[in-house]
Amino acid sequence: MKKGKRPAGKILMVLVIAFFYLPILYMIVFSFNESRSLTGFTGFSLRWYERMLESRTMREALYTTFSIALVATFVSTVVGTVSAIGLSKSRKVIRNIMEQVDNLPMMNPEIVTAIGFMLLFITFRVEKGYLTMLLAHIAFCIPYVILSVMPKIRSLDPNLADAAMDLGATPWQAMTKVIIPQITPGIVAGALIAFTMSVDDFIISYFAAGGGVKNLSMVVYTMSKRINPSINAASTLMVVIITIVLILVNVLPKRKASGEIKKRKVFIPAAMAFAAVAVLAVFLRAGSNSGTGPFEGQTLHIYTWGEYTGENIVSDFEEETGAKVILETFDSNEQMYIKVANGESFDILVPSDYMIQRLISEGYLQKLDQAQLSGLDNLAGSVKNLPYDPGNQYSVPYFWGTVGIVYDKTKVDIEDLEREGFNIFLDEKYRGDIYLYDSERDSFMMALKALGYSMNTENMEEIQEAFEWLTQCVRTMDPEIVTDEIIDNMVQGRKALGLIYSGDATYVMSENENMGYYLPETGTNIWSDAMVIPANAENPDLAHVFINFACDYDGAYDNSSFVGYTAANEEVMEVLSGEGGEFEGINAYIPRTDNDMDEVFEYNENTRKVISNLWSRIKIAASNAN
Amino acid sequence: MKRFSQLAIPYIVWTVIMLVLPMALIAFYSITEPGNSIFSFSFTLDHYITFFTDPDFLKILWRSLWIAFKTTVICLLIGYPAAYFISRCGERLQSNLILCITLPMWINMLVRTYAWIGLLAEGGLIHRIAAFLIPGERELLYTEGAVLLGMVYNFLPFMILQINTSLCKMDGALLEAGSDLGANPVQIFARITLPLSLPGVVNGITLVFLPAVSSFFIPKLLGGGQYFLIGNMIENQFITVGEWNFGSAVSMVMAFLMMLLMAVVRKLENKNRGGKEEENL
Repeated sequence: MKKGKRPAGKILMVLVIAFFYLPILYMIVFSFNESRSLTGFTGFSLRWYERMLESRTMREALYTTFSIALVATFVSTVVGTVSAIGLSKSRKVIRNIMEQVDNLPMMNPEIVTAIGFMLLFITFRVEKGYLTMLLAHIAFCIPYVILSVMPKIRSLDPNLADAAMDLGATPWQAMTKVIIPQITPGIVAGALIAFTMSVDDFIISYFAAGGGVKNLSMVVYTMSKRINPSINAASTLMVVIITIVLILVNVLPKRKASGEIKKRKVFIPAAMAFAAVAVLAVFLRAGSNSGTGPFEGQTLHIYTWGEYTGENIVSDFEEETGAKVILETFDSNEQMYIKVANGESFDILVPSDYMIQRLISEGYLQKLDQAQLSGLDNLAGSVKNLPYDPGNQYSVPYFWGTVGIVYDKTKVDIEDLEREGFNIFLDEKYRGDIYLYDSERDSFMMALKALGYSMNTENMEEIQEAFEWLTQCVRTMDPEIVTDEIIDNMVQGRKALGLIYSGDATYVMSENENMGYYLPETGTNIWSDAMVIPANAENPDLAHVFINFACDYDGAYDNSSFVGYTAANEEVMEVLSGEGGEFEGINAYIPRTDNDMDEVFEYNENTRKVISNLWSRIKIAASNAN
Repeated sequence: MKRFSQLAIPYIVWTVIMLVLPMALIAFYSITEPGNSIFSFSFTLDHYITFFTDPDFLKILWRSLWIAFKTTVICLLIGYPAAYFISRCGERLQSNLILCITLPMWINMLVRTYAWIGLLAEGGLIHRIAAFLIPGERELLYTEGAVLLGMVYNFLPFMILQINTSLCKMDGALLEAGSDLGANPVQIFARITLPLSLPGVVNGITLVFLPAVSSFFIPKLLGGGQYFLIGNMIENQFITVGEWNFGSAVSMVMAFLMMLLMAVVRKLENKNRGGKEEENL
């Protein structure tokens, strides 16, 4: 029709396309940024690509993403096509019912489908891992294949296959030589949809996978709290791969079509594209090294906090022992507990004090074999023999520290802090300028300490008061409730103050000298996280070896200097905080041990439930406050 | 042809295990007490009662529906004209534009959403432009606006593509006939184009509204920890709180609500179409 006469339409189109591509371009540009920042471009560099290729999490995530997508696409295309042919010849009742059922994953909110898979695997005791993720992907891909193949089959003459067989073709020949060539475009379209659905998937993988298996989306989700340009590098790589696949599938057949039109030709570039992706997946796989050593061929399954291990400790350990380490991470003790209680098997966990107490009392841990442990003597006295595990029969401390207030010295008056302690979180002078930490126990700790109570109180009236204190805070102070996001945001000085773990404060202070760390005189939580071996561990011997490895000077130094949390190894702690040490002069690194008001968490099932419910109400109240 | 129909049998079995059974399990968990197994359990409706008697939960449900509604309206307002423009372009340009819109959808949703964090954060490109246009300090990231933006960004392509498909299916001769019979462009649009594109609009609304209501990573990435939608609440129940029975009940409520809404939308569309056909007779 009228071309070039719709300026409004053109402008809209340009804006829409700019809107779609802006974030993608931004991401590509910043994947080449020299600095860590996502907001200021400082110079061209390939370091994030190096970092990505070095990072095993990233490599494995890319491998998982593409290998699952390839297998799921292949299986669901074959099964979907065959089933669609079968269904088209089935009775109408069956066909209608199946169409309705097939709609389930498309009509249901995705999170509901995902939870369904999770409950299915857990109820029938299928261990969550690569296989469950693959099964789930196949399950949600098949309906899309059927949906795209079905219309093509419907448009076929129903007597076609009969005619072929009357002429002497076997049913197999009738299907492969007559039916399938006619519906090829539908099959290719279905396979493409399946492939993208699988590569793109987050929600279903998030609930259906386990055992450290992660696709790229899951890695992005867990890493998104910290600034990590490697994500941009990995994403750029994905963009490139997908663009290549698309070009091969879309453009090549069109060019050929001008000559000889043969539908099967579509298969060739499509197959080529898939082969290219497969080669890449294998390449990514090949990158992972397998050393030789006494434990060659064995695996060690560690479940620990995110961003909690040193840069080299895992690869050093693998090199020395020949074993392969699978590292899975959690955000909270509670999240870890749910997995352990569901019977997922790990060799080492790194929970906090009160959670260790709970795991011991519920029989989820095994006693350590003291004969196999070597590093206990190196540990600081204040982290040994704590009430949650007298005599360290079950646990070996990993990191320890306090919970305090990180504050911007240029914005916060130190006198306010000294006068108010934790009550500064109710001081309207700092309204809209504070971070709360999304942890039920430490938020309640702060409130209880501000009110002058014990953080281990079982008195429901005191807990109720703390609840009101926190509710007042979220209603009047407009706080942001964060977890690890606080780290990079405080480094950039985005807010005046926040509740923070001492190790994160150490990192913040080492990056930004305007930041300080304050511990209220009314006391705080002295916490420690320790390595334990679950009762259902598959490789307790190797777990002991790792515990020793992480307790030794080198392992502990690597962990502590890289992450910023205080090492349980006394020597490492002294070296790092001493003269010329990485954390010299940073008060957050050395935990306070001389305040009688400080406490260690104790586990109490009853108060835990109450606090857990109240905290989710506070978050809901915060969310409803604006 | 009976032999071919047997090909479907393995798939029927698979479907029952992988699609029907999980839904049945959610339903089962939602009406049983915590700590039960499939061998010993007792029924209860407490989870549903808790959900429907708590104003905070209802408020979250309402907010999820409301933001999904806003997303849908914005997608419709931008998507319809865009789709209309595309459908009026020449064939070649049309397929290129469609490719342009499809391409970003091939890139991981989470990755694309993550990219917005850099744009919206203080000092990011959008933040700077906004500060330049309207001076004054404000936060863009971790606000409801950011969540809305993220949703429109993620779901707008679905709307455009659906509407475009139905616009392209339309017989061009109808428009010519309309104008030959003396209708002005507005009349042609209102009486011919719009009604004929309604199936696409309905499909688009479905594809936008449904994922928007249940989305949980967009609010988490762009809305921050204190921004809760119903999807976050479900995630929270399953991943950190561990109250699966209550989480299942919330899931059931959401699934039921969605099916109900979709059924109503489809009914309205059918009625509309039915009415038009009668008129033609």
